Amino acid sequence: MAIPSAKNPILSAKNLCVESLGAKESFPVLTDLNFSLEPGKILGLVGESGAGKSMIGRTISQYLPKGFAVTKGTLSFDGEDLVSMAAERRRNLLGRDIAFIPQEPLSGLNPVLTVGQQMKEHLLRIGLAPGEHWRERALKEFEAVHLPHGAALLEKYPHQLSGGMCQRILIAMAFASRPRLLIADEPTTALDVTIQARIVKLIAEMQKRDGTAVIFITHDLRLASQISDEIMVLYAGRPAERGPAKQLFSAPAHPYTRCLQLANPNISGPRRGLFILPERMPGLRVLKELKGCRFASRCPNAIEACTEIEPPLADIGPNHIAACIRTEKTPDIVPPPLAPGREIASTRIHLNGEKLTKAYTTAWSPFAKRNAFKAVNSVDFTLGEGEFVGIVGESGSGKSSLARLVVGLDTPTDGRITLAGRDVTANGNAEKAYRREYIQMVFQDPQSALNPRRRIGSIVTQANEASGLHNSTRERMDRAAELLKEIGLPPDAAMRFPSQLSGGQKQRVNIARALCTLPRILVADEIVSGLDVSVQAQLLDLLLKLRDEHGFSMLFISHDLSVVRYLCDRVMVMYRGEVVESGRTETVFANPQHAYTRSLLAAVPPDDVNAEWSPVLAEAGYQVE
Amino acid sequence: MRMFATIAKLLVKRVLTAIPILLIVSALLFCILRILPVDPAAMSLPPNATVQEVEAMRTEMGLNLPLYQQYGIWLNKLFHGDIGRSIHFRQDVTSLIGSTLPATIELAVIAMGVATVFGLAGGLFLFYVRGTRAEAVMDFLSILLLSLPEFLWSLFLLLIFGVFFEVLPFTGRLSPGFERPVVTGFLLLDSLITGNISTFLNALEHMILPCLALGIALSPSLMRVLRSSLLDAYQDDYIQQARLRGLSEKRILIRHGLKNAILPTLSLMGVQFGFLFGGTLLVEIIYSYPGMGNLMVDAIRNADLPIIQGAGLTYCIAVLVISIVVDSLYLILNPKLRVR
Repeated sequence: MAIPSAKNPILSAKNLCVESLGAKESFPVLTDLNFSLEPGKILGLVGESGAGKSMIGRTISQYLPKGFAVTKGTLSFDGEDLVSMAAERRRNLLGRDIAFIPQEPLSGLNPVLTVGQQMKEHLLRIGLAPGEHWRERALKEFEAVHLPHGAALLEKYPHQLSGGMCQRILIAMAFASRPRLLIADEPTTALDVTIQARIVKLIAEMQKRDGTAVIFITHDLRLASQISDEIMVLYAGRPAERGPAKQLFSAPAHPYTRCLQLANPNISGPRRGLFILPERMPGLRVLKELKGCRFASRCPNAIEACTEIEPPLADIGPNHIAACIRTEKTPDIVPPPLAPGREIASTRIHLNGEKLTKAYTTAWSPFAKRNAFKAVNSVDFTLGEGEFVGIVGESGSGKSSLARLVVGLDTPTDGRITLAGRDVTANGNAEKAYRREYIQMVFQDPQSALNPRRRIGSIVTQANEASGLHNSTRERMDRAAELLKEIGLPPDAAMRFPSQLSGGQKQRVNIARALCTLPRILVADEIVSGLDVSVQAQLLDLLLKLRDEHGFSMLFISHDLSVVRYLCDRVMVMYRGEVVESGRTETVFANPQHAYTRSLLAAVPPDDVNAEWSPVLAEAGYQVE
Repeated sequence: MRMFATIAKLLVKRVLTAIPILLIVSALLFCILRILPVDPAAMSLPPNATVQEVEAMRTEMGLNLPLYQQYGIWLNKLFHGDIGRSIHFRQDVTSLIGSTLPATIELAVIAMGVATVFGLAGGLFLFYVRGTRAEAVMDFLSILLLSLPEFLWSLFLLLIFGVFFEVLPFTGRLSPGFERPVVTGFLLLDSLITGNISTFLNALEHMILPCLALGIALSPSLMRVLRSSLLDAYQDDYIQQARLRGLSEKRILIRHGLKNAILPTLSLMGVQFGFLFGGTLLVEIIYSYPGMGNLMVDAIRNADLPIIQGAGLTYCIAVLVISIVVDSLYLILNPKLRVR
């Protein structure tokens, strides 16, 4: 007789394997997944992109990419096997008993239908109580997720709402049917840090209300440890470690977990160096041939035995398992010492902004000037030689507008910009040419910033086309080779196209392009957001290394406060177009003066898993329109 | 309500911009046709007229005045609905266009309807068979269709259904012996209004072949645009999200996919509809259809300047009206364009 467990799991996987079955070759996507999730519990799934986190959600819904199939094992929902279940039965469960919250809230809603139309469609499908009108019900569900002005909201189209509001609507939809299982796939990645805190708290609140079991997928180990009961760390489609969230986070047993943790900059306490995970995860195609531990090639603790047999998941504590034969050595992995703090050698000011303002008038009217929306409002700043200055704030705070003024993509409506002693406010052709020599910009999304039809070698030396200098094929090839070496890409990358590179490599190319003509200033707009922490750490150290070599300064825009704390010498906090606080990074973060800075900092999940995470839920506020 | 306000705003804006466009087009029409080496005065007199008579006629017609004055007079008349008299038909151009334009509009509207039905059905089918073996076959067929022009279809259909099977009429708008009611000038509409069912059915029979020819020729590009916009729409998260909410594939396609994918198709339809007004020409000739196309051909052959000018202006107005209608439809279907 089996001992009856306290609760029957709502979802359980037994030896689950998913493979991509191609005509020529097949390779494993998920290998030997075992877990069970009880009602009311939250399971955090953590790992780099490509680790198979999202594949679990897709396996549950059985909307797998073409050619992917479950080849072994079972995945049962409340005792029924989801894989062998009739498609119609499974579709019936989706949206009712199993709900999903997507990563991109704005694109998760249909752009041509109102919120009301979509809400109605969903509510009618999941069924209403007798005599209940869908509208009343919708308003009730909105109230539950703290969305005010529900009635007005029903008439809105998704593009009229903020990302946070769309995510609340999607959460209201997901919980409307009181589902027994919820899969939240990176639900806050696309949102601001303050909104992230609110959304995570909201999911936890709703989950408690309904006793829903949740699979919370995220690349952020710190966030997962705050919200989850249990965490499973995936590496290349296989669990590396699984255990109670707090225990796993405070004493990781698998070297991969430890490395992930140390690759992320800390937000409190003294700054520490970042652990740089070398290379990247082995591609799923090579895994088939790989003997031994999947992580061995990147593991600082790997010994010869690690490359011989694949380590089994072994118990290392109560409910805590890890797939490593040397778990006792894991605590020995320590971050490298922090690069010695740079003393700003010269106080030469490269860039100076005085009372910089950018106002947009929405319509022509006699009151246009008074009603103008000020994206950037009377901002003063300086950027010294070799200095990295971070600009932080929520979206809409004017960070990117300020960057556009600095690089000359926009002309200020008021104020003055001085660049290396010359006034460039007017932004005419002469100023633009002058600016190009001094400033280059690195854009956020390498996917769209790199022309897919050009080879890397020609992309990184694009600046030579504009200047006309060193523009012969020979010279450009030579320069491209130098640049690629500096950013750590193999020389043969010059002949490749962007689509043949990984996300992190593309962002390196993006940086190399900006550095081609050795500008004195880089403006970087969210260049590490959306990347894995391992890649992020590589890029941050690359920027520091390049500064040591070339001595450029940088305006670094980011919504990630811990990244800014690690990288930047000074920080400016922007709120509604104004700089509300600025100063040396460590001083500002250790002792924030402005309430807004404090609320930004409080929204970041703390380093210490046992610390109370109490994001300040005041300020800004969500409003209709 | 906001939607109507935005549409009203759009209408005002578009009508205001239409005025200079019409002025420019009218000036171009006037100048280019005056530069042509034809003498309207000589043409409107019998061939045995003397030089003095021609001169007298020139003075009477105002042809000895400077060009800008002539344009002013012409524009003034135009403003009062007088485009002039056809030299060849010896009839007011307004009444000539008035009797042929409805015929062409009828043809174009029904042809566009046929194109829409075929285009949407074909596009949905092309999308439906994506990734199957039938896709290659359908793809081939749609390209084959795309490469057949409307006059070839006209000839095929005429030969098959008109000559070989003799099931459908293929000349004119109506068989001889049918009463022709005139209320609005739109034959199908008028016969329905007056309750003349036999005329209605006969006129409808006459429309089938030319409308099919035009509709079939226009539909393949619609199919292909709709298919590719559906493929784009299906890349978006909201489709995946709708699936994860357990909606049926049919509902996702019609309510979520098609509603987004219809937008590019709609703008193509607007362009096509504009072209149709000039593009019915060959089909009208093949089917001896008494529309604007046939009128234009006669006018050009006879260097009948007033008709050419009138037809040119009519075409310009038609295109402007169509673009306003399409843009309003766009506003209705695409909420993102409605500004707050």
